[in-house]
Amino acid sequence: MKARTAPLAAAAVCAVTACPAWSTDWDVSADMRLVDSDGQSSLFDGGFGALRYDSDHEGLQVGRFRAALTQPLGDVFAIKLDGSYWGQDAAHPFGLTEGYLEYRPYPIDGWKARLRLGADYPPVSLEDTSAGWSSPYTLSNSALNAWIGEEIRTVGLNGDLEWLGTRLGHDFDFGVSGGVFGWNEPAGVVVATGGFSINDFQTPLGGYIGGRNSAAFPENPLFRQYDDRAGFYFSAQARYLDRATLLFTHYDNRADPQAGIEGTYEYGWNTRFNAAGARVEADGWTAIVQWLEGTTATAPEGDYYSWPFYAKFALLSREWGRNTISARYDVFSVESTADYNFGAEAGHAWTAAYIFNQSAHWRFALEWVHVTSNVVNRYILLDEPQYARENQAQLSVRYTIGSDRLY
Amino acid sequence: MAGTLSVQANLANHEPFAGAVITVHSESAHAQPPVAAILDQINLTFVPDLIVIPVGSTVEFPNSDSVSHQIYSFSPAKRFQLPLYRGKPYPPVHFDQAGVVTLGCNIHDKMVGYIYVTDATYFGRTDAHGVWSVTNVPRGTYHVSLWHPLLREPAASLDHEVSVGGDDPASVAVQLAQALRPAPLQATSRSKDQY
Repeated sequence: MKARTAPLAAAAVCAVTACPAWSTDWDVSADMRLVDSDGQSSLFDGGFGALRYDSDHEGLQVGRFRAALTQPLGDVFAIKLDGSYWGQDAAHPFGLTEGYLEYRPYPIDGWKARLRLGADYPPVSLEDTSAGWSSPYTLSNSALNAWIGEEIRTVGLNGDLEWLGTRLGHDFDFGVSGGVFGWNEPAGVVVATGGFSINDFQTPLGGYIGGRNSAAFPENPLFRQYDDRAGFYFSAQARYLDRATLLFTHYDNRADPQAGIEGTYEYGWNTRFNAAGARVEADGWTAIVQWLEGTTATAPEGDYYSWPFYAKFALLSREWGRNTISARYDVFSVESTADYNFGAEAGHAWTAAYIFNQSAHWRFALEWVHVTSNVVNRYILLDEPQYARENQAQLSVRYTIGSDRLY
Repeated sequence: MAGTLSVQANLANHEPFAGAVITVHSESAHAQPPVAAILDQINLTFVPDLIVIPVGSTVEFPNSDSVSHQIYSFSPAKRFQLPLYRGKPYPPVHFDQAGVVTLGCNIHDKMVGYIYVTDATYFGRTDAHGVWSVTNVPRGTYHVSLWHPLLREPAASLDHEVSVGGDDPASVAVQLAQALRPAPLQATSRSKDQY
């Protein structure tokens, strides 16, 4: 009898206490916001406001409901899924913002490699280092990284190769990344039509930005493939200990600007950009500067139009104990070769945020954003003044449970 | 006749150097016998983050976190991997070669730990005053070394020869010429990577 029960008992102990584990790591959170805003109708509602919440979306709002899991498949493979519901619009159901199969071999002689097959972010943001591609400094992303979250995702094969110099007694680590991807050909339509925005929204795969019934800025699906051309990116990163990071990334979706679905507004936007940034951390202080400059072009009926754009920001943050206070200044611009300067804009924004990580489960945050922008399409498409000053204040309460709740 | 050997370690700014690894070798004395050590993983850190063990010792690597870890070392003194695990599923790892073994987690890049494997006759770490000492040291000449993971200067440049067994206790003063590397930032909500 003992001989028969022993394996069962061992299995039970293993399940509870210790296993060469293929067990799932998971994270679930609910983030609710109390919003006060004088913003114009937002990109998510078919308007050209530069904030996530406009004056029609005040009071209690969904910030984000998120569920993420990592499921190991053996020792060096894992499936990672990150899904969110943003409550921005009833037509935005719960969807994946990232999802991929990862191959993570053990480092050899100081070299670490990663391969990811699926949908991922290219390495651009130096802000969004927390779980779910979110920022530990503010509720809203900079204009630069908000745009990445709205339009950019690399659906394909992505890889990193890193030299772990600090593990070998040196002061520096170096890494390179690259990817080949598809299904990102509409990327550019939002920045060229609606411009930059200060928000924390991430378009789910299969999702869109724009107003479902908006004539001015209708829904724009963002993860589509219209031709047989793959896009690519490459990136280089250098780190000094864990104190300073330098990052450069070049992205080109190589979309055919004449390809698309006939009879619709869905066509290719050839988007290329360079992004560079630096982050320095010391004694509780963090400073980040990022710069992104590129162009997007489309030619749906043979007429070629392009929209050169840039976004930059500087962020300063101070962390003490469970408190973080941050300030950020954004500046952004879109030029246009289209008729009437369609899509052109210029703007800048100030953001101030206080975050209190009360426990492993509760986070409280207060943020204020002020955006000043001059958006041509407000006049062309809505017959409203181009110039606007918008303010948004948010109080966020987030509760998280999961296997990674440690602090 | 046995004597006392003490080491006073100071940083470049002349403040006491706490936590430095001190090893004392002698051609005539033997290495310490092996031990069975434990190096835990708690809150995405190795606890303790540095241990010193004699050659031939074993180390157990329990994972007390609620998330899985995947421990590895590519250090020449000991290359090993512990496939993804929670709890304590693996037998202790045997360290049979002297040298520094740098530990990492293949899931959580910020985790770093060190095992200093030594064939020294005497070893230890300096206290808060930068002091380490040993008593009942047989008369003879000893080679004193200092090591720390944040050391910038070559450890060999800090070596000292000292004679023990005279009328006075033998003492060695080790003075760093260069500042240490900054200590790693603590893993916080801000710096916590995605799993």
